[in-house]
This record gives sequence, structure tokens and C-alpha cells, in this order.
Amino acid sequence: MATLLQTPRSWPKVTLGRVTADGELLPFPRAERAGAWAAWRQVVDRESPDTVIRLIGQAGLRGRGGAGFRAADKWWRCQATESSQRYVVANGFEADPGTFTDRLLMERDPHAVIEGVAIAAYAVGATKAIVAVNAGYARAIERLRGAIAQAEEAGLVGIDAMDGGLTLEIEVRPVQGAFLLGEETVLLRALEGKRGMPEQRPPYPAERGLFGKPTLVHNVETLATVPWIVTNGPAAFAAIGTARGREKAGSPGTKLVQLAGAVARPGVAEVPLGTTLGEIVERAGGGLRDGVKLKLAIVGGPLGGLLPADRMDLTLDFESLREAGATLGSGSIVVADESACAVDLGRLLERFASDEACGKTIPCRIGLKRLVEIADRFAAGHHRPQDRELLVDLSNDVIASGLCNHERLAPDPLLSGLRYFAAEYDAHIHEGRCPAGVCHPVTVAPSATAAEKKARVSA
Amino acid sequence: MFRIPGMGLAKGMATTLIRFFERKATVQYPEVRQDISPHHRGRLVLLYDEWGALKCETCFQCAQACPIECIDMGGVDTKNRYHIHWGPPEQYAERREESALRRSGRPVPDRTFIPFDPIDVGPLDRILEEEDYDPGHMLAILEKTQAAYGHLPVAALKHISHATGAWYAEIYGTASYYEHLRFELPAGRRIGLCRCPSCTLLGGGRLREALEAAAGTSLPGTSPEGALSLEAIDCHGDSPTEPFVTLDGEARQGVTPASLAELATSLRAAAARPGRA
Repeated sequence: MATLLQTPRSWPKVTLGRVTADGELLPFPRAERAGAWAAWRQVVDRESPDTVIRLIGQAGLRGRGGAGFRAADKWWRCQATESSQRYVVANGFEADPGTFTDRLLMERDPHAVIEGVAIAAYAVGATKAIVAVNAGYARAIERLRGAIAQAEEAGLVGIDAMDGGLTLEIEVRPVQGAFLLGEETVLLRALEGKRGMPEQRPPYPAERGLFGKPTLVHNVETLATVPWIVTNGPAAFAAIGTARGREKAGSPGTKLVQLAGAVARPGVAEVPLGTTLGEIVERAGGGLRDGVKLKLAIVGGPLGGLLPADRMDLTLDFESLREAGATLGSGSIVVADESACAVDLGRLLERFASDEACGKTIPCRIGLKRLVEIADRFAAGHHRPQDRELLVDLSNDVIASGLCNHERLAPDPLLSGLRYFAAEYDAHIHEGRCPAGVCHPVTVAPSATAAEKKARVSA
Repeated sequence: MFRIPGMGLAKGMATTLIRFFERKATVQYPEVRQDISPHHRGRLVLLYDEWGALKCETCFQCAQACPIECIDMGGVDTKNRYHIHWGPPEQYAERREESALRRSGRPVPDRTFIPFDPIDVGPLDRILEEEDYDPGHMLAILEKTQAAYGHLPVAALKHISHATGAWYAEIYGTASYYEHLRFELPAGRRIGLCRCPSCTLLGGGRLREALEAAAGTSLPGTSPEGALSLEAIDCHGDSPTEPFVTLDGEARQGVTPASLAELATSLRAAAARPGRA
């Protein structure tokens, strides 16, 4: 049940412009008339690879997978690396549990994804492309394969496609089995048939990626915006979202956002970056359910941050969310009402992060376990005097030693909790009570001083 | 830029001159001997005897004794076809038996060695043929093997290792990393629980704690007697009002921590065999 939410008319549609209301795919000729593959024809007929990358650079497109790396930089780097073979890998694994933004995109508009892959491959000079999709998304896999077959039949991609001008083989590969597969180097290891553990960067995958060859790895959502940029021009794309300032990188374009929790209408919506969180909940999610009051929002999936009600004026873009201690991540916004406990939520999300750590870096493997233990002690009321400082110290160590974004983001649920819900932590630690009534901390009487003990013994 | 001719040479000679008067670093070895740590074992190399034959008996005791399993022995077979690596520790005893037989001329049984169950490699050979014996397709090979045999038997992994040339340790590493690959036949009943933020918020954490306590294992895992396995599943937003719980793949509504613990306990009890007092 992947619900697509109605958004205000003033919000531009980039990735979901062509989807039908009932979720059925248009037959190929009608999809072509609606604009599919127009950008690909335009690119191959009229543009050189360099112009395409310049176009993407002017648009200021940034990776939608979470890190927000500038796409054009990756493309230049991949194109500039000498190699006999280059790959394009589209990441449609969608690791965050409970999220279905990428699935919705791949199911409703597979042509946009495949076309984006093709344009990226043309720009960097790749002849092989792999779309890695979560094996659980049977429908998305079927539709992507169908879209590739139709494009091959029409002579758009495949061997000697576009009147014998170029060769591009696109393959859909189902992957499954670990949360970390959403990370680019881990996904590449999985496609090589190895244990999925992240690699040290640099060298970036754009220089040495799949089977040691330069590989362009992008989220499917990033690639799906590429045809739109080519058709409508970079200026139109840069006009959406937040502009580039002197010091800010700017977050142009739109993002698929998933609303869940205590909202009236949960589902996926395409939101221009730079919209405030409150506005998204109000205008896309239809506000909160009746009779509940917003307490916090988990922004960015299980590794995201807990943001309190008074930070709902934050804008949805890469930088401002990072500064607030959350992350754009998969674009998931889970809204919680007054019945939620920030300490308990932080603890459970941290446990998820610790469970899914691959174990390659030791601060991540052991540090996250220790963080869970500290958070467990908070929730149970068995805290030790130094626990708070230890938690912050350890979190900073884990973040500093980060090999991949998993451990850089993993302490966020606890750190943002401590930052915004300090009073709630104090209530657990010092008073032994949980204001939301979720945890059952035990008050421990302060231990008797030596003099008192002596008095008791002599009495 | 202005340079004085011969300046570089002068600098070099100055260094030589300084070194000339310094204490010498060379140790006059047979006469003078340095203090060496008692833990020092010298360089790890295979020694040759005076006839040029390897002194290594391939007894595998070094590989078995190595606490971090970093010693691994390998080479090519006599026809130069396969790159062979001796893989898991349980194999070492098997090799030691061979070695002992060769040296003493009589079989020396090893009680610590438990041989793994043999399998019919027919289906596996067909899978390997399909995948072109390519270690790059390892995940596909393993997934198909699991589909054919129900799980990944040790014998299958060994056979894959020999056929593709990939190290056993590497294949084992891959197979043990991915949650959907398993080394034992699946348990009879499965309870799945979603761990997404939304389900957590709705009380998934408490369900998980109750379930883990009742099943005696942590979430992706199988209960000790093997009757019940717990799976981490994904709700994909299908369950907006309560935590997403499944029993054998079917969604279940209205689950509380107490009822879930009761369910897990009853499933485990149903599989228990009557014991004797």
C-alpha cells in the first residue's frame, strides 16, 4: 500500500510529474508521448557528454541518497578516470525499513529511472549499467525489467542502439540481506559477490568502484531527476528549492518525502527542498490526527534525529537538517505525539543502528553497543554518574572514526535527544520518572555516606 | 632563483661527515648478539632442507594453533588446475590425519574432527555451470544453492570453493554476512517484526523485548531448540496504526507484548517432545 499524497499545486513536480493517479503504467507509446525518453534522444542527437555534465553542474543537482554529494563532481571524476570499462550503478535498495519512496518511484515511473541511468552512462562513457533493487520489491523489479525491454525494442538502449551509434546494456539486479547495502561501497561489494563492508574513501567509487573500474553510483531518485533537468534546463531546476548562497551549497530541486506516524494522511509526497517541516506535515500530510499534539519528529529514518515541536520551522534541505542534528537521509519524517518518550525512542533507534553495524570499524561495532547500554541504563533508571559525559564522548569518537555514513549518523538519535529533550533525560536520570509514562525507571536512593554506615553499624 | 654552485654537494658531504663520527649502527653479529624478545619467533617462512625439499610437513598444526586464524595454507594441485586453500578450522584435523598417516604409516584417528555431511553435488554443478564458475557471481551462486538444498551445507561451500577458485574463508564470509543466507534448515515457525521508526514509535520496541525474552534469542535468530525463528521484516508503511507483526508471513493485528510472548511460548511448547522425569 504505497500511498501517493496530494500536494499543493504550487509545489513543482520533478520526479513524479508523469505518474498516474491509479498507479498503473502507461503503455510505452503513451508514456513516450508524455515525455519519456525525449531527453535521451535529445542528449544523444545533439549534446556531447561534457555538455551533459555541465548541465547537471549548472542545475546544482545533489545526491538524493542522503549524503548530498554534488552529482556533477562525481560525473567529472568518473569520466576523467582512464579505464577500459566504466559502470553506472543505480541504488534502488532503499535500506531504511518502513520507507517506500524509491519503490514508489520505480513502480510508478520506471522509464524515468532507466532514462536517467542511460543519460548518466552516456555522459561518463559507461557501456554497462546495473540497477540494484531490493529483492522484496517484486513489482518494481518486474516494471523496471519491462521498461528496459521496451526501450531495447524501440532501439533506445542495448547493443548498437540509437541507429548503431552506441552500446549500453542495463541490467536489473535484485539485492537483499543487509541494511548497509544502501551505502554505495557496500552495494558495490555485494554486486561483486563479496561480504558487504564499506571501503575507505578516497579512492572514490567514481575512480575505483565495481571490479576496480570507475563506477558512478547514484540513488534512483537522483537519476530520475536527470531527464527532467535535460528537458527543462538547469535554470528551471535551480529555481526550485534553496538557492546557492555565498557559504551555503544550496539544495535545489525536490525530494520525495515519506510521512508516517501521527499524521492524518501518511504516504509519500514530492516536496520542493527548502519547505519547512511544519508546512510539509500540514499541507502534504493534512496535519496531525485529531486530538493529538505534536511532540517530536524523527527526521531521516532510523539514523535520523529527534526534532522537537518548536523546530518544525526548519527547512527541508541538506545543511539545515545536519546543523539541527538530523539528516535528510531517505526523506522519512515520522511524527510522534505526546505519548512518545524521547529517551526510549533514542534507545530503540540506537539499538537498530547497533544491530545493523557491519563490524568493520571497531568504534562502530563496540561503541554503538556501549551507547545502547548507556541508553538502556537511562531508561531503566540505573544510570552511573559519568554516563552522560561518556555518551557524548563516545558518540564523538564513533563519529570521528567513521568509515561510512552509518556510524557518522548512528549516534544522532541519542545526541539530538540529549540536545532537545534534556529535561526529559533529567527526569529519567535524577527523578526516576518518565514524563510520557513509557519507561519505568527505578529511583535508586543515593548511597549512604561512610559516616552514616558507621552509625548504622554501631547502632 | 640564485644558486651557489656546488651547494648541494657540500650539504651531502656534510651529512656524510656527521654520520662518520656518529656511533655505528652495525652489529658485529657472530661476536656481538643483540637482546631479542623471548616471544620472537623469527620470520615465518617455509624452510627447505639440504636437498631442496620443503621441510613443511603440512601438518596444519600452525594453522590450527593460530588464535586469529591468519595462517592459511594453499597452493596449486599437482596438475596445476585448481588453486587450493585449506579452509575452515574443522578441516585441519582431517589434513592432520593424512599427514600422520604419511609419516607414521598407520592411521591416527583424531577425535576432535567431525566430518561434515556429504551432499549430492549434481544440482550444484549445474548451478556453477550456469554461473560460469565466476566468483564475481558468488551471491547468485549462493542464493541458487540455498534454493536447491534448502540451506548452505558445508560440503556445498567447499565444492564451490574448489570449482570457482575463491577461498573458502571468503565464501563463508559472504554467506555469513547476508541475513537471507542460512547454514541450517529453516525453523518450523517464523515470527516477523518490523523495526522501522514508525513501528518503534507505536510500541515495536516493547514487542521486541517481550518476544526476544520468550524466544530466548535476539531478533534475527532462531530459538535454542530450533522451533521458532525471529525475522526482521519491513512494513513498507503498510501498518500505520500499530507495529507490524507477522506469523509465518501473515500479518497479525492487535498484538500486545503479553500476547506476543504467549504466542512465542506456545509455538515453542508445541514443538517440544515429551521428556522423562
